Amino acid sequence: MRLSSYRRELQNEIKRLIHDPVLLSIVVVIFALLIIFIIFPLVKVVQFSLWPGGKFDPKYFLNFFRKTYYWRPLINSMIVGSLVSLFGTIVAFIFAYGITRTDIPGKGIFRLIAVMPIVSPPFLIALAAILLLGNHGVITDALRLNWDIYGLPGLVLTETMAYFPIAFMILEGVLAKIDPSIEEAALDMGASKLRTFLTVTLPLAIPGIASAMLLVFIRSLEDFGNPVVIQGNFQVLTVAAYHAVTGMYNMPLGATLAIFMLLPTLMIFIVQKYYVARRSYITVTGKPSGVGLKSTEPHVKYPVLALMIFLSGVILLMYGVVLFGSFTKIWGIDNTLTIQNYLYVFKVGGQYVLDTIQIALIATPIGGVLSILIAYLVVRKRFIGRGAMEFISMLNFAVPGVVVGIGYILAFNTPPLRLSGTALIIILVFIFRRMPVGIRDGIAQLQQIDPSIEEASSSLGAGFFRTFTRVTLPLVAPAFLSGLVYIFVRCMTAISAVVFVVSASWQLLTVALLYEVDQANLAAAAAYGYVIIAIVLTAIVFMRFVVERLFQKGFSPIARE
Amino acid sequence: MKKGLLILSVMLVVFLAVFTLGAAKQVLHIYTAFDADQAEVYINAFMQSHPDIDVKWVRLSSWQVLARIRAEAANPQASLWFGGSNTSHIAAAQDGLLEPYKESLAWQFMPKQFKDPDGMWIGLYVGYIGFVSNTNFLKKVGAEAPTSWQDLLKPEFKGEISLAYPFSSGTAYTTLCGMLTAIGSSKPGFDPEDDAYIKAFDAQVHHYNESGSACITQVGQGEVGIGIAFSHDILKKGIAKGFPVVMTFPKEGTSYEIGGMALIKGGPEPELAKIFYNWALSKEAQDLYKQFYRIPLNPEATVAKGCVTAADVKVLPIDLLWYGEHKDEIIDHWHEVTGK
Repeated sequence: MRLSSYRRELQNEIKRLIHDPVLLSIVVVIFALLIIFIIFPLVKVVQFSLWPGGKFDPKYFLNFFRKTYYWRPLINSMIVGSLVSLFGTIVAFIFAYGITRTDIPGKGIFRLIAVMPIVSPPFLIALAAILLLGNHGVITDALRLNWDIYGLPGLVLTETMAYFPIAFMILEGVLAKIDPSIEEAALDMGASKLRTFLTVTLPLAIPGIASAMLLVFIRSLEDFGNPVVIQGNFQVLTVAAYHAVTGMYNMPLGATLAIFMLLPTLMIFIVQKYYVARRSYITVTGKPSGVGLKSTEPHVKYPVLALMIFLSGVILLMYGVVLFGSFTKIWGIDNTLTIQNYLYVFKVGGQYVLDTIQIALIATPIGGVLSILIAYLVVRKRFIGRGAMEFISMLNFAVPGVVVGIGYILAFNTPPLRLSGTALIIILVFIFRRMPVGIRDGIAQLQQIDPSIEEASSSLGAGFFRTFTRVTLPLVAPAFLSGLVYIFVRCMTAISAVVFVVSASWQLLTVALLYEVDQANLAAAAAYGYVIIAIVLTAIVFMRFVVERLFQKGFSPIARE
Repeated sequence: MKKGLLILSVMLVVFLAVFTLGAAKQVLHIYTAFDADQAEVYINAFMQSHPDIDVKWVRLSSWQVLARIRAEAANPQASLWFGGSNTSHIAAAQDGLLEPYKESLAWQFMPKQFKDPDGMWIGLYVGYIGFVSNTNFLKKVGAEAPTSWQDLLKPEFKGEISLAYPFSSGTAYTTLCGMLTAIGSSKPGFDPEDDAYIKAFDAQVHHYNESGSACITQVGQGEVGIGIAFSHDILKKGIAKGFPVVMTFPKEGTSYEIGGMALIKGGPEPELAKIFYNWALSKEAQDLYKQFYRIPLNPEATVAKGCVTAADVKVLPIDLLWYGEHKDEIIDHWHEVTGK
């Protein structure tokens, strides 16, 4: 009975697809793209690890368990990931609590500072850590300290600063949704503030906290920019894989390390998406809960405020020292101010600036439209493989950039798809790496729009394409445009995947920054960093202007991790 | 939505304008192992004397260049490999990744120890490994600058040494070859004494870099106490910059490189690459090494004052050919010994 109804459903879906050839062809094309540019590179990674040279040979795979220098980086990555996920979530919670549940002043500024690390290029924070806390950093020298920032301490510090914003945005949303009347009820029944916090607020926030911790863990595990600068002798998996591929050309080893990076992130992604995310507690009450319950007691408010001021101070200090460093002649020895580093960036890297902007400008609209299109199909259309389409297109959220990069060089270096050395391969990496966020946002946006508007268009005789471009797109336009800025920002600041696919013809600013760091040219690296920041800020301001002019609506390109 | 379309089309025009900037000229693609600030000087000089050729280049460490060329073997993206320790060129020649070029006059006049007999690569300059120490650091720990490979193992230098990874950097691989030659038997490759030395040395290392010359700046800024790099880089990036550093050499003899250049097999612009190749060996190009303290191999080019030459240091009899051909083996063993 069930089987036959299932079969009938299937027949209906097939019939529907055949009757709508435009939809059918779009679905087919998108599946082809997803399989070629998401699944195929991953298959190649597995193939190179287990079938090196074409024959099945688990040598590299088994060596992973035998050789210290294979498995040690995995353990190191796990240690860093756990600590960063813990500290990052704590820092994020302080900010989120202060902003949503107290009446401290200057919330807007705190919020801005908390999301700042998201728009900044990689290594910037690691660079700042060295300039401030290195063996001869500003603070180290001023306080005559004798510590060593390289290795675990530096990794935990820099990644916590770099990735707590992701946790912050999740927790801010979660805490804002907890209905204050529940806390009021606890207080009315005589519970102390602390008890209310521990037994009511915190438990309600647990799923959010778990999500935040898991996502920060993934981000730490896949981080390449900070470790490559500050790992010292504490080698992590991403850098080990980078060495295997770029230094030793040991593709089977690189692929094997990639697999061991992929397994934990995939597991966490699935746990997060299908288990934790479904457990969110939404406190529904009869009355609208507009104004939140704000802690006004000094003994709660001021410690939180003090911590937030301290943490914000640390973040501002980090950006400040890098900005200052970018204007020094020889950092630490001759601090005369000069613009020579910026002249150097434009002399040596002028072409990279153009390359990077061109590539970002191509990848951005394609990635944006493709994301909205997939979101639209997933939300509005019924067709076979809809769930698979959503899963595959979201997969790259969990695949570390280093794995994507290695997969792309393995997959697209030989005919029929020989893309190495082209701008196209970089553009494809950007599009498929950044799509998940665009799709997720698109889905959220579309679910809020009544489908009857589109149905009206269809019943008036408009086809799929006409309805999509004339009705759906305009409705989601504000979200779409701020989504474009997100993709653009990411293109300007990405490093972990693209470092494998840049070439003599197409070079990116972040990779040029990496090479300056490689050569310990910290002042030049800092200048590259601020050139990137300047481009990113220009893009954000420009889009903000456009969106506000066109739609008279709010605009928040940053808040979308 | 007319406004939106207008904005979008404005964006499209801007983007097309950016996209079509630059074009027209013939383009030569180069991988270079010279540091970016130096490569920029050499390549700009070339473009000035050849206004019809535009050079697009990427800087990578020696072995990263080789990894890149291997990865692109089926579809080479660059035509010329400019600079880098010749052990990496030897390894590339062995893999059949280079294009022989013997017709160049420079090649014919080059003494045979500075070129491949089959024309696969040619020398540009020679360089000798030296130690760079921060003088404030030496004062603090009350030690003399190291003057032998064994000195590097002194307890006061523990966790204070920085150099590059030998698998990515030509500098660091040249250093490793020197250690293996100087310690124990001078036969190429590891022997038990070498194992013990490398293990002990690794314990002294604060961290490894990707790039060979990075440690000089780190020593200069006091991030670490001692670095190991090429003497021309120590002169340029350490002493000439005014960092508080001294340069010393191991008395057992030091390691050396021949900085090389090669045509990449199947590269997209073989003719342009040859023009660059011949230019790079000319007096005009080799005179540029003066400002970077490199020792040019063109006998007509001027050698900078204060350069470290073969007369100034004892040089180890290193079998560069063997080390070039056995790099993977050496690195595998290095991994085993250091666990890194």
